[in-house]
Amino acid sequence: MELLLWAVPLLAVALLALPLPRRALHAVSVAESALLLLAAAWTTRTVLLRGTAEPAMPGNLLYVDAVSAVLLNLVAAVGLAVCVYAVGYVEGEIRHGALDPAKVRRLYLLMHAFLATMVLTLTVRNLGAMWIAIEATTLASVFLVGFHGGKPALEAAWKYIILCSVGISLALVGVVFLNAASKGALPEGAALDWPALYAAAGSGALDPALLRFAFVFLLLGFGTKAGLAPLHNWLPDAHSQAPSPVSALLSGVLLNAAMYAVLRSTAIVNRALGGALYTGRALVALGVLSVATAALFLLTQKDYKRLLAYSSIEHMGLVALSAGLATPLSLFAAFYHMVNHSFTKSMLFLSSGTILQKHGTREISKVRNLLRTLPVTGPAFLLGLLAIGGAPPFAPFASELNVLAAAFSAGHPILGAVVAVLLALVFAGIVQALFRVFFPKPEAPAAADAAPAAPSADDAAPEPARGEPNRAGAAAVVVLLAAVLVLGLYLPPFLRDLLVRASALIQGVPAP
Amino acid sequence: METLGLALASLQLLAAFWLVAGKRMHSHISAFRAQAVLLAVNVGALGVREVLATGRPDLLVVCAALVALKVVYIPRKLHRTYAAIEYRIEKDFLANIPTLVLACVALVLLVYAAVSGLGASVSATRALLLVEALSVVLVGVFFLLSRRKAIGQIVGLLVIENGLFATGLYASDGMPFIVDLGILLDLLTAVLVLGVLVLHIDDAFETTDTDRLDGLKG
Repeated sequence: MELLLWAVPLLAVALLALPLPRRALHAVSVAESALLLLAAAWTTRTVLLRGTAEPAMPGNLLYVDAVSAVLLNLVAAVGLAVCVYAVGYVEGEIRHGALDPAKVRRLYLLMHAFLATMVLTLTVRNLGAMWIAIEATTLASVFLVGFHGGKPALEAAWKYIILCSVGISLALVGVVFLNAASKGALPEGAALDWPALYAAAGSGALDPALLRFAFVFLLLGFGTKAGLAPLHNWLPDAHSQAPSPVSALLSGVLLNAAMYAVLRSTAIVNRALGGALYTGRALVALGVLSVATAALFLLTQKDYKRLLAYSSIEHMGLVALSAGLATPLSLFAAFYHMVNHSFTKSMLFLSSGTILQKHGTREISKVRNLLRTLPVTGPAFLLGLLAIGGAPPFAPFASELNVLAAAFSAGHPILGAVVAVLLALVFAGIVQALFRVFFPKPEAPAAADAAPAAPSADDAAPEPARGEPNRAGAAAVVVLLAAVLVLGLYLPPFLRDLLVRASALIQGVPAP
Repeated sequence: METLGLALASLQLLAAFWLVAGKRMHSHISAFRAQAVLLAVNVGALGVREVLATGRPDLLVVCAALVALKVVYIPRKLHRTYAAIEYRIEKDFLANIPTLVLACVALVLLVYAAVSGLGASVSATRALLLVEALSVVLVGVFFLLSRRKAIGQIVGLLVIENGLFATGLYASDGMPFIVDLGILLDLLTAVLVLGVLVLHIDDAFETTDTDRLDGLKG
């Protein structure tokens, strides 16, 4: 049954490679993501019952534990929402002449190959194979980033592949040294095998000096892919230039898949060194740096998709610093925050796709009367922005509160205070953008006199007609928003259980 | 065997310096190819030893793949791509060459200091091999960051990948076979992706100078 996790995406990619009519492409895409979610849910059930899911197969390549189960469900759930949204989005793009009908198959093929590589990243047992899968996510998504062609999209794609390739190369140095550190400590044929490595780390069989060396490279390398500063430059470009459903996947799940690799590496090193002092300092430093960088850029954004992209850097930074504190509470908060960020950000990027189609601009100051033109997506976007900024009662508020509580209770009041100030700055930046969209200043007459040409050109542009162009897509957005709201008020017991187990695995203690 | 390994590793680092010191794209590609030949000889020698000792041909297969991809296919593809856009490319480095070379010497010293920190975890010979291989990686990163043209950045990436391969070889007597092959496969796809992107970028901007890719800011 768990093997469906690999069989379904493979089959979908094979089907999408056939010359099918457009309706069939839509159907395959939605059916694949729905089946994938079912397979992920089944696997989660196995994990909850038995601790891990390791179906019998040659080589026992597939391995899912609590950490991968959390993120696997995110990939599948966000994937389904994105695929449902994509049907209406693609049709809309074709109507506007922004997408050549002949390129639809390529878009879907790349999107599903991208999903498949992310599932692979989260479910392979061997860390070397995980590294290959992460490299494959870059290769599958680079053409998606540059899909629209034209100068900015190609520029973004180029920056993306060059910086991520450098990052992934550094990560490989880390993997090599991880392998060297475990030389002689693992059974024959189990090199880089996660459960074996984890067990060996527990029994003190790994070489600590080589592990420390490895961790520096692993953190820098996978951290680049997760959008952590200082190597985050590719992210705002790639996420804002990609077609919106792809942006939702990039921000909502790809960053998590990269963070997953960081967390796995951290777990082994923490367990082998008998504490989180070494990894913790590095993670907290990169985390605070990322949140601070994002906070500064958020305050001056003019483009709402770039605004969302910088906010992703901020949230990944929060996850990293929370993981770096390495208390049970902080690790729980890290996973909880990954879940919340994933839902909220994908919902926002999907809404931004509808807004972009309707208003034809990415500039915050040119989008007007959103609540009127898009009666469902508009209010959802407003609430989503409040949620991602960290306003109660939404889920990101709850997890950010957990992160702060973890920082204070772990005995780092200064760190907690700094992060609280940075989060306030982030909130200010997002609310400022939100006000410019939803409560625009009436045109001041003096400004109109000074530059008569610009406002009149704006006035001349007709306001888009009222109505939702993509009903199914709007429904997907609303469902995601509802999930964000519910998760902020009530955490289902099975999810809490899963998150607790995941944090125990990363901390290196046996599950309760 | 150890002497041969050390000699080959030093020559690979030398090839990395040849890369940085070179002025023309053709000399960059030749430096990369020379480095790949050295790497293939190294893998081949280890492979022969392994066949004699254990009868497993893994490393020989990897060696054959290395020769086919890095010595024959990729340099040829690079020469061809370059030929298509050559008339638009002039010199492509940010600082003057002696400065770049001196910076690379500093990088090697940095790696030496870092590897010395490993202490007794690695033997003296292995530590030297690692210094050479990791230096190739960092010199590659440096080369990539100091180029403005897309094709120069691709060569930088390939050299990084050479250094990685050597690091894998010296750090653990060969990575698990499947990982080695995966790396080569990735490399091939990466070059195809990059090649296609370079040509598209060329269409869109009529130059591959990435300094002109500066529309996205803030």
